[in-house]
Amino acid sequence: MKNLLYKELRLATPLLTFLFLAFSLMTFIPGYPILCGAFFVCLGIFQGYQLGREANDIAYSLLLPVKKTDVVKAKYASAVFLQMLAFFGCALCTCIRMTFLSEAAVYKHNALMSANLIFLAFVLLIFMAFNVIFLGGFFKTAYTIGKPFVIFIIINFIIIGIAEALHHLPSLQWLNTLDFSYAGQQLSILLAAFVIYAAATAAACKASQKSFEKIDF
Amino acid sequence: MKILQVRNIYKEYPNFKLQHASFSMEKGTIMGFIGRNGAGKTTALKAIMNMVHISEGKVEFFGLDMKDNESAIKQRIGYAGGAVDYYQKKKIGLLLETTKRFFADWDDETCEKYMKLFSLDANKTPSELSAGMKVKLNLVIALSHRAKLLILDEPTSGLDPVSREELLDIFRYLKAQGVSILFSTHITSDLDKCADDITYIRDGRIIYTGSIEGFTQGESLEAVMLKHEKEAFHEKLAL
Repeated sequence: MKNLLYKELRLATPLLTFLFLAFSLMTFIPGYPILCGAFFVCLGIFQGYQLGREANDIAYSLLLPVKKTDVVKAKYASAVFLQMLAFFGCALCTCIRMTFLSEAAVYKHNALMSANLIFLAFVLLIFMAFNVIFLGGFFKTAYTIGKPFVIFIIINFIIIGIAEALHHLPSLQWLNTLDFSYAGQQLSILLAAFVIYAAATAAACKASQKSFEKIDF
Repeated sequence: MKILQVRNIYKEYPNFKLQHASFSMEKGTIMGFIGRNGAGKTTALKAIMNMVHISEGKVEFFGLDMKDNESAIKQRIGYAGGAVDYYQKKKIGLLLETTKRFFADWDDETCEKYMKLFSLDANKTPSELSAGMKVKLNLVIALSHRAKLLILDEPTSGLDPVSREELLDIFRYLKAQGVSILFSTHITSDLDKCADDITYIRDGRIIYTGSIEGFTQGESLEAVMLKHEKEAFHEKLAL
């Protein structure tokens, strides 16, 4: 597994995918739907699959003395690794926005989603959607990337729309607050998002392993 | 012990059937897997390698069932669909460095020896290599992990006569080193020069498997194969 993960990061993941992790810095952009940063991170991972298909990555993996299920597991593991790097970037930017920059006028009078713990929870939900829809869809054929990615794009923007709309409801304004008195509620939502992300990704990986086993190459 | 035993493998596609194919290989031999384009050579080889799922039959390498021992068997064999067709833009050095991590018996000295012997440069990328050199790169990978059996799909296809002759020389050299080779081809003259046995497939059915002399009976392999193919074609015409 360690070797497959090494192969994923050295051979299968292009530089572009790593560069796209920098989109987590979009968390700093004021007056902007900052969840788009999470989408661009997923777009970077998608680019890796596009180039991987051109490079016959799956054909190479099948020549190696590894189980087919491990090939899938390594692909998921590398996606999770990249997503966690991006999440760490978003979390760091969020911390800076919530503390040192909390009094900045551009962030105080922000009509769109603020960078807080709820934002981080939605980042995880977008990553989860990518793992379930795109990765899950890809491993049905180990070739088709367009259709699952288009479906992911649609779902992604629905998630962003919901995230941007919810805090405008009077009873849910606390979702967007930087007030630390709501930190407990926000943190529990972030933890719930973590659990959902982990459980859905694990389930998608298991389903992908099954479909990958059935493919005739 | 047979190095490869294929028993009654069956695979059905909407327009093609691999029909209960059986054949076996002895250690230290070269077997040519022949048949015209579309006869089922690649499907059969992929079925042997568990890359397509057979609905019936069994494949054993070194007495081990492929389905239950795929990883262990792949440690001891090398498979290539001819030339290296993956990671065309990555340096060969990086490809070798990554690949070696997966093989317990990988030997750097052997790798270096064959890289030199085949005049391959680790700083080049596969996209910079000719078709013949790409096949050689596959051989380097297989030989560096001390593969006892090489399974190659049309390795001589698309090569110029000199490169083809050179590759057949390499096959003979490897055979002398105790390596067994199963390679598919539709260029029968390749087999006259190096094969001990042949397996002949037509329309997904194994027509003959055994010694090359037993098939040709003194005639050239090409003439015998053409005769068989003509007969089959005339039978189809009569229908």
